Amino acid sequence: MIPVRAYFRLFARYLRPYRRRATVLAVVLFTTIGLQLANPQLIAEFIDRAVSGAPVDELAPLAIAFMVIAVVHQVFLVWATYIAEQIGWSATNQLRSDLADHILHLDLGFHKATSPGELIERIDGDVTALSNFFSSMAIKVIGNGLLVTGIIVLLWVESWIVGLSITVFTALTFLGLFRLHGVTVPWHKAIRATSAEMFGFIGEQVDGREDVESNGATAFMVNRFDRIQHKWLPQVVRGWTGWAIMWSASMGLYFLSLMIGFVLGAYLFGVGTLTLGSVYLVFQYIGMAHRPIEEIREQLVDLQKAGASIERVEDLFATESRLVQREHLILPEGPLGLAFDHVTFSYDDEAGDDVVLDDVSFDIAPGKVVGLLGRTGSGKSTIARLVTRLYEPQQGAVLVGGVPTWDVELENLRQRVAMVTQDVQLFRATIRDNLTFFDPTVTDDRLYEVINRLELDEWLASLPDGLDTMLESGSGGLSAGQAQLLAFTRVFLRDPGVVVLDEASSRLDPSTEALIEKAVDHLLENRTAILIAHRLATVARADDIVILEDGKVIEQGDRASLEADPGSVFAHLLVAGMEEALA
Amino acid sequence: MSDERTPNFGKVLGTMMRTQPWRYALALVVWTLIWTMPVLVGVIIAFFFDQLEAGIDGNTVVLVVLATLAYAVARTAMIFVGMRNHASLLFRAAGAMRRNLLLRMYELPGAETLDETPGEIVSRFRDDVDHVIEPFDLTVDLIGALTAGTVAFAILFSIDPVMTLVISIPVIVVAVVANRTGGLIRRYRREARVATEAITGYLGETFSATQSIKVAGAEETMMRRFRSLNGVRKEMMVRDRTLTETMHAVFRNTINIGTGLILLLAAGRLGSTGDAGISIGEFALFVFLLEYVSDASYFIGVFIARAKQGSVSIERLITSLHGEPWSRLFRETDLHLDGPLPEVELVERAVDPFESLRVRGLTYHYPGSPNGISEVDLEIGAGEFVVVTGKIGSGKTTLLRAVLGLLPAESGSIVWNNAAVDQPKRAMIPPRSAYTPQVPKLFSMSLEDNLVLGEDVSEHTLDESIYIATMRHDIDLMPEGLETMVGPRGVRLSGGQVQRSAGARMLTRDPQLLVLDDVSSALDVETEQIMWTRLFNARSNVAALVVSHRHAALARADRVIVMHDGRVVATGTADELQETSPRFRAIWDGVLEPVSRG
Repeated sequence: MIPVRAYFRLFARYLRPYRRRATVLAVVLFTTIGLQLANPQLIAEFIDRAVSGAPVDELAPLAIAFMVIAVVHQVFLVWATYIAEQIGWSATNQLRSDLADHILHLDLGFHKATSPGELIERIDGDVTALSNFFSSMAIKVIGNGLLVTGIIVLLWVESWIVGLSITVFTALTFLGLFRLHGVTVPWHKAIRATSAEMFGFIGEQVDGREDVESNGATAFMVNRFDRIQHKWLPQVVRGWTGWAIMWSASMGLYFLSLMIGFVLGAYLFGVGTLTLGSVYLVFQYIGMAHRPIEEIREQLVDLQKAGASIERVEDLFATESRLVQREHLILPEGPLGLAFDHVTFSYDDEAGDDVVLDDVSFDIAPGKVVGLLGRTGSGKSTIARLVTRLYEPQQGAVLVGGVPTWDVELENLRQRVAMVTQDVQLFRATIRDNLTFFDPTVTDDRLYEVINRLELDEWLASLPDGLDTMLESGSGGLSAGQAQLLAFTRVFLRDPGVVVLDEASSRLDPSTEALIEKAVDHLLENRTAILIAHRLATVARADDIVILEDGKVIEQGDRASLEADPGSVFAHLLVAGMEEALA
Repeated sequence: MSDERTPNFGKVLGTMMRTQPWRYALALVVWTLIWTMPVLVGVIIAFFFDQLEAGIDGNTVVLVVLATLAYAVARTAMIFVGMRNHASLLFRAAGAMRRNLLLRMYELPGAETLDETPGEIVSRFRDDVDHVIEPFDLTVDLIGALTAGTVAFAILFSIDPVMTLVISIPVIVVAVVANRTGGLIRRYRREARVATEAITGYLGETFSATQSIKVAGAEETMMRRFRSLNGVRKEMMVRDRTLTETMHAVFRNTINIGTGLILLLAAGRLGSTGDAGISIGEFALFVFLLEYVSDASYFIGVFIARAKQGSVSIERLITSLHGEPWSRLFRETDLHLDGPLPEVELVERAVDPFESLRVRGLTYHYPGSPNGISEVDLEIGAGEFVVVTGKIGSGKTTLLRAVLGLLPAESGSIVWNNAAVDQPKRAMIPPRSAYTPQVPKLFSMSLEDNLVLGEDVSEHTLDESIYIATMRHDIDLMPEGLETMVGPRGVRLSGGQVQRSAGARMLTRDPQLLVLDDVSSALDVETEQIMWTRLFNARSNVAALVVSHRHAALARADRVIVMHDGRVVATGTADELQETSPRFRAIWDGVLEPVSRG
């Protein structure tokens, strides 16, 4: 039920660096428990002395001691909270960053199959759920456990029969609460599921207002809303009933203990075993016992919930990148040759008929530019992704500089092989951070140097705050062309030997287009390149042409001779109008 | 007037109470009892100790035990009734607010950009509504706690007025302190939340851009940034938690200090009989009831804090009402929670046959921007195929949206069959017109539901729509065909599939006028060609208003409208425009850009 072992494995790994602070925490915690148990003893003593007629100056110190202990206890509790939170957040920050790091290094196939929202939930949601354990678990479960034990021991000291009865009832209630909890858990789960459905629905409605309104579907959508609510209400009422059950159960323990207190208190006082102060003490301890039990239960319930989180976190850690590294070669400087050797590839490992690239072979000499043509879905972008080793081919090999990509150290490969995609992914951050990927070691001088080389200095000057201009998320408030200019700069910062460029297919305004033309000129200087072109002007830069259809190479050769051959697909494309034919 | 922009929060609470008078009244009675009843326990304990001191007999013990038992049973019953009623009360209050927000959202022109991001709007629906409900919920607890506190105070006062007043002082001090620090707590909490949002936002962006990061080999620099954000959040969180715990500690201490004061004051008088004396029972009662006096003061603080939060949320919700008064949030709306759900009301089918749509002088500009359309005239007759073309940013999509009322026109008129259309948003919907936006959205439900959207569509129409939209083959390949769950939470469809599904969705309504924004980004030329052919074979009478720059559409058009900088610069058939309009030629030739040889 509670994944104790998995929990302690994680607990031990991440808490090890904080052993010393944890020791301090333990000492502080024990002190608070001692103080908490001591105070009712003072009252009992006070009552007994008062009843026996002790003078005020003998009683007043007890009252003052009571207050001092109470205050010190609270101060220690705050202190304990502070230490526990420090430890908890430090440990989970480490876990979070290990997990994020691990996930970021998983292959792109994993990322395509997993939404960013889901990953946020895993890295932040699940880990934060665990942070409660790294911090409060110690305080609440161990602390309250010791407190209850202490109370029971002290009750045994007062009278074995009181101690025994309260022990039995406490144990029974504790078990009972857990049973009831098992019953109500699925109820709350159902509420959360419906809640997620509801707010997912609302989000979709916000997104699709245009579709809904213009197709006269508002009544239908409001009906869907009503439908979800209709399902939700009974679940919510049942959920609240669940709380009522738990509340009544823990209240039941208190009242049973109280009744035991009345009966045994009257009897034991009658026979002279207990003094009046001791009877009062028993009632104080009874009153004190039910809160820690309640808290332990809440914590264990949380721990149980966290079990799912631990499981998911461990699953993620166990997920391995599908990219298998064989050697760790380093690519030489300068332009690199690039070759596809009988490459067959499918995004889906299982399905055989979803082949995106089917036995594709071509060879690009260092420094040459290849124009890659084909309809949407013919496999052009897949080729780009294989060159940058975002995926691994199922058959055949992709060779960069004559070496299969899996033999090149990944970091080095990504340094030397660059890709600019149509949709440039931007961050809600400054232009500088977008260019450097938040790398503070890239100097402004270096940035300006690259920007000048790409002849983008004027464009940069046109932005309100230059490098410090904040981009909004999504398209970043930039046009597709401007975003590509940013992407070019990113590439230039690394000086790669191979460039894969997927040209923006949307129309660009003339000034941006001119900037892009110039930037591409610089980009292709002394580099091997694959151009995924959408405009003839771009194709004109290519030395060779490769045309893809349904994942197969249907034509390849040098551009000039293909153009001259009226029977070639390429010549036919030129006549038909490329954009039209390749849209 | 109730129309004031930011309402007094008390007024908001009053409105909510009046919406469900009976449920609220029941809640008030039951929760006041639940809160006040524990005072009886104190009385029972006090009685027990007094009897104990005086020499208790068996019958009295039985009486005390039975009283406790009866009490426990009664309170349990109250808790069950109270919880169930409360669940329903709060759910309905929140549900009505959410339904009103949803209805209001649909009233707004669907293409008008809202000030908030989609995420923020969802948070309005979820969190802000909850934040308004919380203080509403707390009114019941507040009244209950105040009643219990007052009863406890009265009992204590009747026993010993001086002592009662003395121990009340720390309790009042705490209430004041709690209220004073409320601002600080809220600030810390807010800062902690901002730090958390920075992390989730950063993670979201990171994992949306995984490909770029990998290609750039920037994993390590991205992680460094993540760690620094993590560090900031840790500081904020620890500070927030420690302050909260400190406040709890201060609060708990008042009871202890109070108890200490009772001990001090009672010293010398405890156990002695007579007027000046305090019995052990009375002492026990003081210690027990003190907590209730203190609870009441604590709840005032909690309530004030939540009410402040509630006012902030109400203000945010008012902006989401876009001009409607706040009372709109609480307008009576049938939630259909009791009894079976009604069916969707179907759109009335009987309309006159389409003759013409005439648009004159239509003007719209995006807020704070010169972009938009100016003085656009447009005409579509029965069975006509009208294509709007122009460069990117020339106002084509804006024109369609303004005609459909998805953007509020500043001026101009729309005339349908010789009748002026005052509210295009209400008129330009099925059965008159239906629309496929440039980037259509599907919803998380079965594909069939997405195509039909509650409409009573015949098997034939559905099949035909799927056929025209060239969606048949895709559906056959889907695991569960038309029953396949699509949308954000279902099977992921390709851009082309979404576009074609939306096309089929438009066709299922069998509208008189089809309005279709550019499909070229998602459909290849061949498919688009097939679609037009099938459409005009199957529905020869339908009129269509289409944005396109492709020959397949332009060549087919009865009339092409060329837009530039938000204005119509030329109208005619493609052939005519080849002759007369250089801009049209540029577009036409742009598509078929000649090879730059040499």
